[in-house]
Amino acid sequence: MSSILSIRSVTKFYGRIRALNQVSFEVPPGSVYGVLGPNGSGKTTLLGIVMDVLKATKGTYSWFGEPPSEKQRRRIGTLLETPNFYHYLSGERNLQIVAAIKGKGAEDIPRVLEMVKLTERKHSKFNTYSLGMKQRLAIAACMLGNPEVLVFDEPTNGLDPVGIAETRETIRQLAREGKTIVLASHLLDEVEKVCTHVAILQRGQLLMAGDVREVLISEDIVELGAAAGTEGRLQEALSAWPAVRHVRQKDGLTQLFFEEGITPDTGELNRFCFEKGIVLNHIQLRKRSLESKFMELTNEKTTTVKNN
Amino acid sequence: MLKLLGIEWMKVRNYRTFWILLGIIVVSIPAFSYMVYNLTDNTFPKNRHGQSPLGTPFAFPDAWHTISWFSSLLFVLPAILVITLTTNEFTFKTHRQNIIDGWSRNQFISVKLIGVLFLSVLCTVVVLLTVLGFGYLGNKGLLKVSAWEGSRFLFFYFVEVLSYSMIAFVIAVLIKRSGLAIGIFLIYMIAEQVIMAILTNVYKLTAGQYLPEETTDRLIPLPFIQIGDPANWEHRIPGYLIAAAIYLVIYCVVTGRYFLKSDL
Repeated sequence: MSSILSIRSVTKFYGRIRALNQVSFEVPPGSVYGVLGPNGSGKTTLLGIVMDVLKATKGTYSWFGEPPSEKQRRRIGTLLETPNFYHYLSGERNLQIVAAIKGKGAEDIPRVLEMVKLTERKHSKFNTYSLGMKQRLAIAACMLGNPEVLVFDEPTNGLDPVGIAETRETIRQLAREGKTIVLASHLLDEVEKVCTHVAILQRGQLLMAGDVREVLISEDIVELGAAAGTEGRLQEALSAWPAVRHVRQKDGLTQLFFEEGITPDTGELNRFCFEKGIVLNHIQLRKRSLESKFMELTNEKTTTVKNN
Repeated sequence: MLKLLGIEWMKVRNYRTFWILLGIIVVSIPAFSYMVYNLTDNTFPKNRHGQSPLGTPFAFPDAWHTISWFSSLLFVLPAILVITLTTNEFTFKTHRQNIIDGWSRNQFISVKLIGVLFLSVLCTVVVLLTVLGFGYLGNKGLLKVSAWEGSRFLFFYFVEVLSYSMIAFVIAVLIKRSGLAIGIFLIYMIAEQVIMAILTNVYKLTAGQYLPEETTDRLIPLPFIQIGDPANWEHRIPGYLIAAAIYLVIYCVVTGRYFLKSDL
């Protein structure tokens, strides 16, 4: 089997609003695949389509290399958006219904309840649960029957810091067990910490997809300051510097972006500028955060789309 | 399908509202008939032979007609139960979760339709038991006619309660909110009567009798008082049944297509 989930040119319109535009990517077996994007970027819509609760306007998808069907969904543990349970039933009875729909026995229920620390509250009605407990019950429902694939949409929503850490550890543990996980999140940090692969969505557009080490690599930036009136000469001179990928002006400073894996030598840079007749009054090497990379990535694309 | 029904049973067996509404349905059908029986028995003066001017509406064979008609007035009770159970799924978004967990959309809507059918059968069984109870008591064990004479009214009751419950189901699936769906259901019931009156009185059209609600209402004419020619009514029964069957097919197709094609 080449990929667990294959999404091909999926487009979704809500009336005249285009929520997804020609999104395609493949989720390899055993990967933790992050679908990353700001709120409203189409992550939940995409997962809703592949779980058959939303209909794609165009495009197709396949699970396990086969056309989609309910039998495949029984092999997948899914938490989509909010936890959806019968409010008047206890946590345990809700899990019994999930197990029955999945065609699994109820014998796995104590294990998953214990895993999310809800054993003591298993007889309490769902509407008496806190937000965090509801989320944990939904995660327990996903784990029922030990599925080979898990789909989580914002799994740490509503959890306290301990719950967030535990959930992330659970996901890592599941990944170590060889399970394939699709994780939608607007939290870059979450994706970076947990995922092996990532697809970045922005306003329904797929910006990048691939190995998380390639897509979300952190970069070094050198900030340079020179006397007023010499910025143009500085920018022109630095463009010729080896391994410079991009030069830009920001807040009165010139920023240099380097090719992947290149650590610039600031002393060399200073000497180079001096030889070109430019005296620097500021030079600083900065590690660019993933957040700023993500923001830049999504903003650049937005600008490009607007310009088009 | 048995598995699917078993899961539906798991959803309702610990749901208090379900049992309360079901209890009201099961109790109100015989209770309402008993109330009418008491009223008619004590209101009209009896002749010297102890006979009521209304005859023996609660003895065989008239009990089938009388009790079916009065029970059909309680159509709103099973309709409310259908709306409650259906809209619960939308309110809790469990209709989405059931699909995510491994039901097909077709399975979800099919098992709901069968649930409506089961409820209609249950109501019909309660009416049957009520008729048998009143019939045997009314005849004091001395049957001059077969107990089953006139039992076709029970079938007509089934068609009527199924039709009303299906209208409620269609509204519940399309509207999704419990209170609003019940309100629209009741407004529709009144609106159809108004439409029928306009068609009949203003435009002199007889087509109004084949409207969804009216066509099943006319299967069981008002007991006690004879309105119109009985032979004429008898003649129109197949037409009413065919119209009711067509509407039932339309209800199934509308809800099925809507649920299969739309975003959940």
